[in-house]
Amino acid sequence: MRPLLLWQHTCLASQYARLAGWVCFTERAILFGLVVNCLLPLHGILASEPTRELLTFEQHIRPLFKAYCFVCHGEAGVQEGSLDVRLKRLLVQGGDSGAAIDSGNRSHSYLFERIESGEMPPGEVKMKPAEVELIGRWIDAGAPTLRTEPDTLGDSYFFTEEERNFWAFQPVQVVEVPSVTPGDRSRSPIDAFLLAHMEPAGLSFAPDADKTTLLRRACFDLVGLPPTPEQVSTFCADTSEGAYSRLLDRLLASPHYGERWGRHWLDTAGYAESEGYSPADPPRPHAYKYRDYVIRSLNDDKPMDQFIQEQLAGDEMLAPHDTAQNTPLGKELSPQQIERLTATGFLRMAADGTATGGVDQGLARNQVMADTLQIVTSTLLGITVGCAQCHDHRYDPIPQVDYYRLRAIFEPAYDWKKWRTPKQRLISLSTDADRSESARIEKEAVALEKKRKAKQQIYITQTLEKELAKIDSQVGKEARIALDTPAAKRTKEQLELLRKYPALNVTAGSLYLYDRKAADELKKMVDEIKQIRDTKPIEEFIRCLAEVPGSVPKTHLFARGDHEQPDEVVEPAALTILANGNAPTIVDNNPKLATTGRRLSYARYLTNGRHPLTARVMVNRIWMHHFGRGLVATPGDFGTLGARPTHPKLLDWLANHLVEGGWRLKRLHKLIMMSTAYRQSSAQNPEVDPVIEESYYARWKVRRLEAEVIRDAIIRLSGKLNLQMFGPAVPIREDEVGQIVVGIDTTDSADRPTGKVIPMHGQEYRRSVYITVKRSQPLAVLDTFDAPIMEPNCKRRSVSTVTPQALLLLNSPLVHSLADLFAYRVVQETDSRASPDQANPDQFSAPQANNSQANNSRAMVRAQFAWQLAYSRLPTENQLQEAVTFLDQLTLYYQEAEAQGTKNVQDKDSNQFDPARRALTSFCQALLSSNRFLYVD
Amino acid sequence: MKKLLVNNSADIVSARRHFLASGAMGLSSVALSWLLRQERAFAVPAKPKSGPQRYDLLPKNPAHQPRATAMISLFMQGGPSQVDLFDPKPELTRYNGKPYPHKVKYDNAAQASSTCFGSPWKFARQGQCGMELSELVPNLAKVADDITLIRSMQTGVNNHVQAIDALNTGQIQKGRPALGSWFTYGLGNASASLPAFLVLTDPRGLPVAGVRNWSNGSLPSLYQGTVVRPKEPRILNLDAPKHIDAEVQRRYLDYLDRLNRQHLQQYPGESDLAARISSYELAAKMQDSAREALNIGQESKATLKLYGTDDAATKDFGTRCLIARRLVERGVRFVQLFTGNQTWDHHGSIRSGLPAACRYTDKPSVALVQDLKSRGLLDTTIVHWGGEMGRLPVIQNDTGAAKVGRDHNTYGFSMWLAGGGFRGGYVHGTTDDFGHHAVEGIVTHHDYHATLLHLFGLDPEKLVFQSGPRTQELVKPQEGKVVYDLLS
Repeated sequence: MRPLLLWQHTCLASQYARLAGWVCFTERAILFGLVVNCLLPLHGILASEPTRELLTFEQHIRPLFKAYCFVCHGEAGVQEGSLDVRLKRLLVQGGDSGAAIDSGNRSHSYLFERIESGEMPPGEVKMKPAEVELIGRWIDAGAPTLRTEPDTLGDSYFFTEEERNFWAFQPVQVVEVPSVTPGDRSRSPIDAFLLAHMEPAGLSFAPDADKTTLLRRACFDLVGLPPTPEQVSTFCADTSEGAYSRLLDRLLASPHYGERWGRHWLDTAGYAESEGYSPADPPRPHAYKYRDYVIRSLNDDKPMDQFIQEQLAGDEMLAPHDTAQNTPLGKELSPQQIERLTATGFLRMAADGTATGGVDQGLARNQVMADTLQIVTSTLLGITVGCAQCHDHRYDPIPQVDYYRLRAIFEPAYDWKKWRTPKQRLISLSTDADRSESARIEKEAVALEKKRKAKQQIYITQTLEKELAKIDSQVGKEARIALDTPAAKRTKEQLELLRKYPALNVTAGSLYLYDRKAADELKKMVDEIKQIRDTKPIEEFIRCLAEVPGSVPKTHLFARGDHEQPDEVVEPAALTILANGNAPTIVDNNPKLATTGRRLSYARYLTNGRHPLTARVMVNRIWMHHFGRGLVATPGDFGTLGARPTHPKLLDWLANHLVEGGWRLKRLHKLIMMSTAYRQSSAQNPEVDPVIEESYYARWKVRRLEAEVIRDAIIRLSGKLNLQMFGPAVPIREDEVGQIVVGIDTTDSADRPTGKVIPMHGQEYRRSVYITVKRSQPLAVLDTFDAPIMEPNCKRRSVSTVTPQALLLLNSPLVHSLADLFAYRVVQETDSRASPDQANPDQFSAPQANNSQANNSRAMVRAQFAWQLAYSRLPTENQLQEAVTFLDQLTLYYQEAEAQGTKNVQDKDSNQFDPARRALTSFCQALLSSNRFLYVD
Repeated sequence: MKKLLVNNSADIVSARRHFLASGAMGLSSVALSWLLRQERAFAVPAKPKSGPQRYDLLPKNPAHQPRATAMISLFMQGGPSQVDLFDPKPELTRYNGKPYPHKVKYDNAAQASSTCFGSPWKFARQGQCGMELSELVPNLAKVADDITLIRSMQTGVNNHVQAIDALNTGQIQKGRPALGSWFTYGLGNASASLPAFLVLTDPRGLPVAGVRNWSNGSLPSLYQGTVVRPKEPRILNLDAPKHIDAEVQRRYLDYLDRLNRQHLQQYPGESDLAARISSYELAAKMQDSAREALNIGQESKATLKLYGTDDAATKDFGTRCLIARRLVERGVRFVQLFTGNQTWDHHGSIRSGLPAACRYTDKPSVALVQDLKSRGLLDTTIVHWGGEMGRLPVIQNDTGAAKVGRDHNTYGFSMWLAGGGFRGGYVHGTTDDFGHHAVEGIVTHHDYHATLLHLFGLDPEKLVFQSGPRTQELVKPQEGKVVYDLLS
């Protein structure tokens, strides 16, 4: 299919989805008899309800026409029926069918007639009735405009005043922190900004959360793990001033901070360890270095401007003489150079199907570029530009030419005419010494390979002789002659003869069918050759993006987005709207660099501290991860269809704070987390609608843990968490039913499970960020809890509550085994501790067993310890009593079952069936499946 | 008045809805039914080009009036010998022991011969329609008037893996979605408590290509087939491990529920917490439904006997066929049974191996057709019986009568279908005089798939999965066409 059609289809599909969303939502709301009026409208075009205000062309009508009509009536010189709808006066002027509108009278307006009848816009996507009605009302009102329209629109895109004035395109404002009244518990400017909204609404902050709640919240937030017993006792024991501040410092200094916040960045970067695009989904064995780069950078609190520059242009930040980036480089790279090249892995995260057979190369290559642009712009600009690939953006003021100007920045590295496959783009880290050693070993391997081939030929000949001996000697003689004749020169009779004796067709490939022993011997030699090759120094590669010096392709605008219809040549530039009408030029070819320097120039422009979006988008994302939603609810779309900031001044203040603070995140985290807003309790005020409360940040919002955090936290409870950092991804495999689990694949050559299990030596308990991310094979436990599939990236995760999650926690072998390990740990650690009577009540595992029966005390100690591990706090007396009752009754049940001989499985760690231990496993599983564990409050 | 500060967040909207749903009425059947609805109608939308699409299992209307609403595929992995079961060849019998006069493509060169191998088994006309069937499938004779026998199947790829992929995914390349995944994607799930696509594997082992046989390929993972295993727990995640009996699980769930309700008391308005409590209730219900569906103990003696569950030779396959019927009765869309370990791959010892394989499947397969028919389900349920290939008319492993077998043949082979709009008592297509190549009315795997989709009311051209600029479909329009002759 032609790409043109596809892209059109995609754009239409997005509109469709919006329509579908509307319908679906309403339908569901009606189903449950809910009142939904106050919730509407949901999105952009009709964002402000214009019931009473004056309808104007600029504010209300043009956005509709831009979305539905411009592409055929005005844009890029296209004026079907000679009608241009970009200005009101052009509507009055009309086209081939006369005036399009009769101001003041919709029923005499041809344009309205065509729209109302559904003839326009043509195609499947129609205007919504409310939109049609709006146009009707505007015409009836005399088709007013806000201001005098321009005499001419010219050839280039006409930016309206409304578009220029859109909030996100304005420079970040220097805002004053609102004054606060004493006693309103403001601890930081953040609180002051929030209170400024709250107070007129009669709201105020909820009380501070208690210490353990705050500890658990901060631990999950900063390192993605539940507090350890040591963390709990240290923090709870520290009653001096500044304990909380010191806790944050400790967490921010933890190496696991980078794993947690690195994962957030990997979401928006679209991190994947497979190429995607086709069902083959080939692996990216070197991508992990980028993951490690991100984790290290965050741990080092690398300034975000540098972080962004390295990822966009690390290759252009090497010293000039090092930029001969043809692989292999042929010389050793310094650690800093490696780091900067690795950073550009960011630009190599989009799916890349160009090394897969059977794909349309033109399409596949241009898709890599389109996806990369989408990742870059949604991550750094919070803008979706993809729509402008085929035509001017339907909603945002992004003309099509702007899209290609942006593309021109990346084109020298991603020259689609001189394409390099993923493998060709790798840069080797081998040294000269490594290479000569490899060459020596290769020689050895080749020598043995030669021997193997000779031996193989001997076996083929021997086998053939045996087969010939089986047939009549005269025929055999003729067959031998036929076989000795080259295939193309065989006579008809010879061919006939060989057809009659198919078994004479002995080849290297079929030898095993005749002579297993010979084949095994040859296979052994193959293994030996492999072993020899395996002794080569391991060649490491970086997956990066680098330009080929001196090669500067021209960038064309593609008519209708079709790469087979190249149009005008465009120069690299940033988005025009962001510079108030003048596209900021990006250096075209920096003579001081071996490469063009375009990406470096762009990266510096983005991080110059004056860009209207970079810092806003960045702080919004940080805010979102702390509070569960952004100040702009759509972190990847600050445009017309995105959300408006709920606290625009706070957003700008934070953006300035980030830039002025040297773009350092840890400082920002601390600021946010020290605020009263962050430290509030999640308890509800019964008098206020909880959703209203949340929207003002007048309460902490209870949130479910993310997929990775759930897995990591459960493993932490089991005592098995392996905190090894960095390195190649932990492998995944399909289990016997096809679920993706951690492990090494042991299926046979026909892809059937062999039942063989290769021990993982604790690798199976690594943190989730180190598990292989294969697009087509998401790890089942993460997939179930909404881990994203990168298509091409994830701006914001969705959170679902669906039964597969309950079923997984209820029945999955993974959860059962971890619950069992958790129980085992509890037994081990409580049995080795002091008896209940001697326990110190201040200690983390303090068992309070004073007035219980002796036979209850063991269950009590265990239950209490497990509870503390899971929830980081002591159970209440009532909770403990319930736990013990559950344990006792279940133990009794198991004892009875044992007595009746109905028990059926032995415990793993002993040959003894231990009813109490079995009951404890169920208890532990209940803890880790409970909401108190799965949610942060 | 307090105004919502967010005007554009679907999250907030849905959170508020939950508040209204659960806050006002407390946790009740409302929350549960909301959750049920959410499960089914998980069509949370708003997909600008920049975000991932959401997919759901909501039942979807077919493009046109369907003939079939469910399918049971009995996949005879290995390749049953068509010339010994379904496609009588007197000419081959005449040539028995003589050189085969045409060209043959072998899979196994070492044991290859060009000696013709006439079927050692007799054929006779059966049913009103007079369909000729082998004495090896005596039960099938009883339903000859209910089945469509296709004698002209063709895939053209000679090894098991590729041939299975062709039949089961439409393409010979690895990694495509399975047939059942496509149906689920196109039609959704008609059952509230059971998966839409279930696979019953052979206790003797998985088929060639393993778990790929029910893979969702590049479709979202919610369309993956769910395996009913031959051992406990029967359905991973939908069935507790063996040592957790119903009583233990009940106590566990009660305790978990208590924990969660205590927690919820702190946050009465947090509907997500309430929904999660309900999700456990729903999970327990689904688990019960699955157990109930898999329990054949409630079937009558006559039914159990019909399927041969009382006979060691047919017990396993009969049980699986019976479960398949129970699943379809309960709204499951697509059930696939596999014979494992190349049950039908008779490269050697076909004289003993083939009758054994027939004993294993003939009675239960036919019982399934009869049972569905007597319950009025056959009209809307397609039953498929067939493998990924057939076998050659020449001898393989010519080392004595007991040891001879037949090599692979993918140029002409047979399979049968019943119900769901297929034409009873009808024989379609022919192979050449030796049964090697289909020559008339050739049905490729693409044609077969196009026909199935048609019967389900789906338009092959519209059953498309779009991911980025790429589209994927089960059948490309130029590849396969609906074979109307097969339909009643």
